[in-house]
Amino acid sequence: MSELIRLEGIVKRFDDTMVLNGIDLSVEENQFVTLLGPSGCGKTTTLRIIAGFETPDEGRVFFDGKDITNMPANERPVNTVFQNYALFPHMNVGENIAFSLRVKNKSEDEIRSRVKKALKLVNLKGFENRRIDQLSGGQQQRIAMARAIVNEPRVLLLDEPLGALDLKLRQEMEYELVRLKNELGITFIYITHDQEEALTMSDKVVVMNEGYIQQEGSPQEIYDEPVNAFVADFIGDSNIVPGQMVDERVVKIDGVEYPCIDGTEEGFPPRRRVDVVIRPEDIDIVPYGKGQWNGTIISKLFIGVHYEMLVQSEDGKVEWLLQNYDQHDVGEKIGMKVDPENIQIMHKPKSDAESAIEIDL
Amino acid sequence: MKKAIGRIYILIIMLFLYLPILTLIVLSFNEAKSMSVWTGFSLHWYAELFQSRLMMGAIVNTFSIAILAALIATIVGTMAVLGMSALKPRTENVLLGINNVPMLNADIVTGIALMLFFLMIGAPRGYMTVLFSHTVFCIPYVILSVRPRVNKNTNRLFEAALDLGASERYAFRKIVLPELWPGITSGFLLSFTMSVDDFIITYFTRGAGINTISTLIYSEVKIGIRPSLFALSTIIFVVALLVLIIVNIRQERANKHALA
Amino acid sequence: MKNLIAKKTYTIPFVIWIIAGTLIPLASIAYYGFTSREGGFTLGNILAMFRPDHMQALGLSLLLAFISTAICLIVAFPMAMILRESRFGKQGFLIFVIILPMWMNFLLRTMAWQVLLERKGVINSIITAVGLPPQEMMNTPGAIVLGMVYDFLPFMILPIYNTVSKIDNSLIEAAYDLGASRTTTYTKVILPLSVPGIVSGITMVFIPALTTFVISNMLGGGKINLIGNIIEQEFTINSNWYLGSGLSLVMMLFIIVSMLALQKFDKTGGANLI
Repeated sequence: MSELIRLEGIVKRFDDTMVLNGIDLSVEENQFVTLLGPSGCGKTTTLRIIAGFETPDEGRVFFDGKDITNMPANERPVNTVFQNYALFPHMNVGENIAFSLRVKNKSEDEIRSRVKKALKLVNLKGFENRRIDQLSGGQQQRIAMARAIVNEPRVLLLDEPLGALDLKLRQEMEYELVRLKNELGITFIYITHDQEEALTMSDKVVVMNEGYIQQEGSPQEIYDEPVNAFVADFIGDSNIVPGQMVDERVVKIDGVEYPCIDGTEEGFPPRRRVDVVIRPEDIDIVPYGKGQWNGTIISKLFIGVHYEMLVQSEDGKVEWLLQNYDQHDVGEKIGMKVDPENIQIMHKPKSDAESAIEIDL
Repeated sequence: MKKAIGRIYILIIMLFLYLPILTLIVLSFNEAKSMSVWTGFSLHWYAELFQSRLMMGAIVNTFSIAILAALIATIVGTMAVLGMSALKPRTENVLLGINNVPMLNADIVTGIALMLFFLMIGAPRGYMTVLFSHTVFCIPYVILSVRPRVNKNTNRLFEAALDLGASERYAFRKIVLPELWPGITSGFLLSFTMSVDDFIITYFTRGAGINTISTLIYSEVKIGIRPSLFALSTIIFVVALLVLIIVNIRQERANKHALA
Repeated sequence: MKNLIAKKTYTIPFVIWIIAGTLIPLASIAYYGFTSREGGFTLGNILAMFRPDHMQALGLSLLLAFISTAICLIVAFPMAMILRESRFGKQGFLIFVIILPMWMNFLLRTMAWQVLLERKGVINSIITAVGLPPQEMMNTPGAIVLGMVYDFLPFMILPIYNTVSKIDNSLIEAAYDLGASRTTTYTKVILPLSVPGIVSGITMVFIPALTTFVISNMLGGGKINLIGNIIEQEFTINSNWYLGSGLSLVMMLFIIVSMLALQKFDKTGGANLI
């Protein structure tokens, strides 16, 4: 796969507020890339810079090797599915989809057949003459998609397109999007603050916060090996606790020593203070005294398939979040253990970027 | 019981609002000049009205000023709304504050102020000064009706059009203008009616040579009410009635269309 | 966020307009108001408001404007509530009926009352037909108040209706649900929520009523002088722009003060309404 879009050192300020702090990003052809982060992290601004609605204060944007930093939006070979769809209210469905074709003065015959094809792609055959305000949210979403793809852009930008839909519809649309992407064979750059969406659909996830890219990688990598506390916390529920390396591949947390798989080779020499992530589903419950450490269950919630418990560690200050299929009672004393490979060691924040994140936590 | 009281209340208000108008209408067909005795049906007050050169001139002035003032106000006001959305909020608020002055100020003060201004710069008072003064009090109404239409969403639709390859001109014509159109037309109509209806500001800025319907009525009433004014009232009332009915029917149709 | 539609330069005609049409004219009132006939600075034109005849006119203006605003408010509020509660189709008709008179030139509407109230007018001819002595109704403060109420009533009804029609029914139901009586619901829920409409209604009636010279001229027969008449005469008959401007400035002061008071009232949500 070849590189299609490259951002180099993008910096953007709005009235003295730093929004993007030097973003470098590479998107390959046919990739499904998701920019993930909380609101105000800079993901939307990044997308608007790619679309051509904002000009970066510093840095360059390359498309297919060509510098397009100053190219106006209407000349870029990218199309956008807007957050609230931005469907033209005074035009019907067909006119909306045909807009970009009319701009290009295509023949009415061609327009008709391409609109038809686009509607078929989004499973809304025969909707040409519907008015926009007659459509449900999900249908509007599909029309926005159809309008954006009818012109066969090489990149489709999607700005939280599922944000306004309810949960069930959202999950349905996630499958639709992946199917559509495969059928069209084009690049998707997708923006969301929903980690589940990001993990489900993407080839590559880019986690952003405070105008910095925190981590990029496959959904698996992001989930299993978060590089810092922000990413760990943002991607799903986690126990993030302070620790200290006490030996090669041994970390001490809350007075208890645990074997782990990281050491000097990975950049964690003995005596180094670190952050440790342990996913709640990776902590096993064993009879009291039989595990690596003990605790008392202080609260319990049933969440569909499993229980979620808060466990106060014995003679320690840490509250652990556990997910378990077995039924245990509040007040019960239990033992806990965790496999070495499920202990993720991370650097304490030290750079500008990471200390900026710390404020959030 | 409660309903009956409500009905009676409405009836009293209706009588209060319409009996005076009805009186004028009836008297406009009275043969005698009397304001109290019915002497027989006649249309000659209407004939007198239409034969009055003064009145015909005033009607032409009233409507040409109203159309021109509404047109100028609509263009200046709409441009201002668009331009202001690009300004810093503080600057925008200052401009909007000044914009509100003619709307909130008493008409007599606005009229006097404009008159003094024309005297100071030595502009001869007449058609042009009245026209300018009318644009001054119309622009706030245009801004008031167009501004709510320019919002984040308008900008988003404009961006969407650019994203789909449209040039800025094309996007403005095909997307932004249709979005603003209801506001623009209502601003125009509001300006038009305010201009037709105005008396006080015209009175101070017109000078001696020109009359609008309002100023003519005022000077005639001062001399003594003639029944041709009743005829004029009847005509204005009927025209207003017809216009409002047409507007209402069209609106209802649009509503039904939207529901269908 | 970058605004793509508009350029700041679009405001240039508007800025020219408000400078030439609003700011400079107002400044010229201020200039004349503080200038004597001889061209020097003076406070005389302002202080002239304290002349007995001017004080009397101002006092009467305030009194009549206050009375007619109060009558409009008392009449309009129940009307707005009836409108709110009436069925949709009927509602549209009633609003139509209220708006229609506004489309008639207000000079003609005022003239209609002249026709009705005159010594030999419609009402007197009915009265004498019944055998009663004719009444002197024209040229009285009462006639002026009547004219003001007639001309300005729709301007009170419509804004109040606009706000009360937007009050969510569930709020009223909630009040009943929580045990409030009809009266309490009105005074504690509906009335406070309609304050913005009441405020704009009062502004739209009080200021034109305070400053009118037309209604007082037509229904007062030139015998009753309101402050509007005094100012108008300074400009049209006496040609004393200096004095006229000075008095206008004082009148503007009254307008500003009353608007600020109303605004404050609006902001406090009418907490001191009852």
